[in-house]
Amino acid sequence: MNPQIEAAFDDAENRYLKPEELGLISQYTQSIPTRLETYQSLRDYELEIMQWVADQLEAEMPLESVDNLERSIKNGLLMLRCCAMSMLVNDEGLIRDRFLVWASSMTTVYESHLIDTTLYGLMNHRLNQVLGIERMVLLMPMLAYAQNALPSVFPQPVLEENGIAIGW
Amino acid sequence: MISVSDLLTNNRIPGNCFAIGAYVQGDLEMGLLENRQGDRLLALPETLIQAIYAGLEKETGQASRLVLFNCGRWWGKNFYTRFCEQLVSYYQQAPADMPMIQFLQALQQCWVVHGWGKIDFDQTYQNRGFLVVKVWNSAFAKHAPQATHPSCFLEAGILTAFLSQLTGRELHCVQTTCESMGADCNYFVLGLPKRVTPAEALVTKLDHDAIMQTLCQGS
Repeated sequence: MNPQIEAAFDDAENRYLKPEELGLISQYTQSIPTRLETYQSLRDYELEIMQWVADQLEAEMPLESVDNLERSIKNGLLMLRCCAMSMLVNDEGLIRDRFLVWASSMTTVYESHLIDTTLYGLMNHRLNQVLGIERMVLLMPMLAYAQNALPSVFPQPVLEENGIAIGW
Repeated sequence: MISVSDLLTNNRIPGNCFAIGAYVQGDLEMGLLENRQGDRLLALPETLIQAIYAGLEKETGQASRLVLFNCGRWWGKNFYTRFCEQLVSYYQQAPADMPMIQFLQALQQCWVVHGWGKIDFDQTYQNRGFLVVKVWNSAFAKHAPQATHPSCFLEAGILTAFLSQLTGRELHCVQTTCESMGADCNYFVLGLPKRVTPAEALVTKLDHDAIMQTLCQGS
């Protein structure tokens, strides 16, 4: 649940909600039908969207290995699912806890920044086409949060992929 | 041609097995906190940790270090088994079949979600046969009764048992810096016992890097 709304409920035994707090909740509940529609569209078109993205990605990056592309596509799927849920409940925290915390190291270790950036561009473009402007208004902030928070430069790898070959 | 539907196993894309919202659950009617596997979780107040230190010190004196280390080893061995079970259950993949980065990432998240602080791995001396583990915000360092010697014997024991099982070699662990002594981080060095044990005599005299240089020269 959105942390602001959750915090408003925490004080239930002490007081009733102030008008502005009720306003927050009212805003959210009014947006629920569109959020639900957007979520349902994502559910229904996820495979189609991501297959298009996968096809374009293969075409645009013919020199990349299939393993690397598949890894980024799977990450993109996870991102999309986390963003869909976050959009539904209007809580970015879900993206942080379920996705970013997990994906950041992987992006660094596998140095997948270039593939990922290309993938996000394709994904955002296709989502725009399939979902339309009104629904993207709800989803795009979540996608932007997830995509911008991932490591955006090529730092030194902090751990090798199969790092504990210590030679004992 | 990449097929996206082939990438989805049972329509799942596993992410963070230890995400706090999903991991910590409970049956509050019964007064139980559980993880998603159904194993019981307990919240330990800091005063209990202080009491454990004080009680051990009173009854066993210097031997409390060994007691804590051995407790840690026992715990670490079982922790390894349960941790691997959780990975298999969530990722539908044996730990031996997953990239090490994924295994270690899961371990880091497991450490965090239990409130044990933050853990990370330092590969600087890996090619010399030493693994360095760093732990921040250890509850055991925070409540250690004295500041003249490293205090995270429980964690040293856990790391010994866990990493011994992971690597299939009998390893030993020595803590080289400690938050209870004012350091910003707890450093632990792991390796074969005869190569790591010399560090025990050095921990109150040298800093971590100097200890590591000595260990590398001694090999």
